[in-house]
Amino acid sequence: MKKQNNKLGWLFTSPYLLFTLIFFALPLGWSLWLAVTDWNMMSPTIRFVGIQNFVAALYNPAVQSAFFVTYKFLLLFVPLAVAMSMGIALLVNGLPKLKGLYMVAFFLPYLSSGVVTSLIVKGLLSYNGAFNTFLRAKLGLDIDWLGNPTTAIFVVSFMIAWKMSGYYGLILISGLSSINTEIYEAAELDGSSRWTTFWRITFPMLYPSLFTVLILAVGISFGIFTEVYQLTGGGPNFATNTWQMEIYNQAFVNLKSGYASAIALISSVVTFASIGVIRKLLEKWGERNGWS
Amino acid sequence: MMKRKNRLLMVVAVTFLFVTLSACGNGQKNSKDSSEKTTITFWTAPNPTQLKYWKKMAANFEKANKNIKVEVSQMKESPSSEATIQSAVASKTAPTLSENINRSFAAQLADSKAILPFNKEDTFSKIVTNRKMTESIKNWQFSDKNQYVLPLYSNPILFGWRLDVLSELGYSEPPKTYSELLELGKKLKAKYPNKVLWAKADGDLADPTAWMRWFDFFPLYDAASGGANFIENNKLVADDKAGKAVFNLMSDLQKDKLLLTSKSTDPFENKVSVMIDLGPWTFPNWKEKYPELKFGENYTVTTPVVPDAMKDKAEISTYADAKGIVLYAQASDQEQAAAMKFLDFVFGDEKNDLAFLETTSLIPARDDATENPTFAKYFEENPEMEVYAENVKNAVPAMDNAEYNDLQQILGEKGWVPVVRGESKPDTAWKDMKNALKGALQ
Repeated sequence: MKKQNNKLGWLFTSPYLLFTLIFFALPLGWSLWLAVTDWNMMSPTIRFVGIQNFVAALYNPAVQSAFFVTYKFLLLFVPLAVAMSMGIALLVNGLPKLKGLYMVAFFLPYLSSGVVTSLIVKGLLSYNGAFNTFLRAKLGLDIDWLGNPTTAIFVVSFMIAWKMSGYYGLILISGLSSINTEIYEAAELDGSSRWTTFWRITFPMLYPSLFTVLILAVGISFGIFTEVYQLTGGGPNFATNTWQMEIYNQAFVNLKSGYASAIALISSVVTFASIGVIRKLLEKWGERNGWS
Repeated sequence: MMKRKNRLLMVVAVTFLFVTLSACGNGQKNSKDSSEKTTITFWTAPNPTQLKYWKKMAANFEKANKNIKVEVSQMKESPSSEATIQSAVASKTAPTLSENINRSFAAQLADSKAILPFNKEDTFSKIVTNRKMTESIKNWQFSDKNQYVLPLYSNPILFGWRLDVLSELGYSEPPKTYSELLELGKKLKAKYPNKVLWAKADGDLADPTAWMRWFDFFPLYDAASGGANFIENNKLVADDKAGKAVFNLMSDLQKDKLLLTSKSTDPFENKVSVMIDLGPWTFPNWKEKYPELKFGENYTVTTPVVPDAMKDKAEISTYADAKGIVLYAQASDQEQAAAMKFLDFVFGDEKNDLAFLETTSLIPARDDATENPTFAKYFEENPEMEVYAENVKNAVPAMDNAEYNDLQQILGEKGWVPVVRGESKPDTAWKDMKNALKGALQ
């Protein structure tokens, strides 16, 4: 009877297992194999190159830039996204009515296509667009927003933060609404200012929601592609070259499948390790605030 | 009972698995069907006008050749048309023929033995002679002396000039030499400080992306060098004098703030720039979006500017945005024969080239377009296109090197971009670029 139940268990989990096998395990194995060859998937000859692709990737300035640029995005995008989503959540949560309607309005950018929003931003920041024409005419400023390494990375980070903050705000609102109002009443009775209440009560009590938002935002930082592809192409001078951008260029522009696989595997290791470290740090922060 | 139930569930699961996996298979077939009909597949560029043209050609061909079926479909553009072909070759589902292949990508395919040389096919020389392309096809020969691409169109990259702005600056025609261009730039800046001489339509002049160099460096380099090769037989053979002259010109333009390195919306159309690199595909778009732009009235098209010493040279070379058709190695002998028959049919009648020109606004790769009476009426109605047709014979296609993307990226990163940004002196940038290219070619 026990044996029969096991079979049934395997049967019911088989769609998931099959899915994992086809769309995760097999591609991973394929990728590992490709990474140790110089095959372009077209040539009849396949040469085993060992770790040559990995070594070449580590010495490639474009890959090195992808490594550092990702952390720059992380340092810019994550605080921006958290601050903006926190602002939205606090603003909407404080409304007396129509909270749902306002939240939907802030959520809309999340549903918009990254390609479309990138094209709009490109138009807005073009040399002869209204914004730059105004800056030149009124303030004498001629800023090459997407051609300057500092402004380019900021523009992309801000754009993604704008897109994601409605979604993250929704998570934070659910956290805010789960905080017992009696705690706020008690704080008020004790004469706590709004500032102190926020930092001493709201912020620590939001830990579970903040944890989710931070992990999601960190994950996004490692997977930035569409906006960079559309706006800067990874430039100027690799200033916005992300892992995904580099993998795309090697795999689908240069058609170097083995090399691209090696970069993809390196990026996976970096991503998992980084998220793991950040997760541990967040857990420690939670423990310090009584969340375990 | 329990056992029967489990078996039933197992059958359902296995059926589900087979149905799911069968959906992953491809239904492509390019072979003989039951009625002894040979089916060949033809992939067109991801462009509706080209699809329309080839569907019409296939239908006409099938009427005259009942035993051959030509299945025409558009190649996918995502993630890139090259990657679509790569995955088709890898999964043994490549078409018999495809268009939209430039010489550099063909070199990559030939290197991988994915395509066949046309010159080994009996019909090839007949096609070349009938289509009057004996001159222009010379530029298409590969280093191994084979012809892997049958050129379909060749769009010389020319330069558009705002005649209205030039007129305001006292010019009746565009400058031809570097000195004249710099002189024009000085007058332009004096009158319109926010305007520039050159801004790119798609992207910016300081973008190191490999393909960008086809539309800025190579037209100027080909013009200055008389069409000399840049890389040949996997060796850097660039004409130093011409290359340095181009870099010096760009450096001078950068110093005088005559280049736009930021992205801009339709800079030439909106009079932000006075000149722009132009391909003939631009004009149908202008007819819809900028109908006020009239050839000969407020804009004109010329060959690239040249160093002063070449002032009196009659024939100026430029880069050719040229693509053609390739025959895939996966095709059977029978399919190859049917494919050549199809190409012979299409290119055997110049009216088909006229239809191609009318449908796509791309210049057919033939030597006689401007003299052939078949095209006379079209060029009379579209004089700007005639300038392009006149320059087909002087247009040099992309390098035949499988590593062209990496090489052109180096050209941008080490040479062109530092000069355009004013970060490096022309001679230093040329030297750095050459050293990096030599390293990559080893």
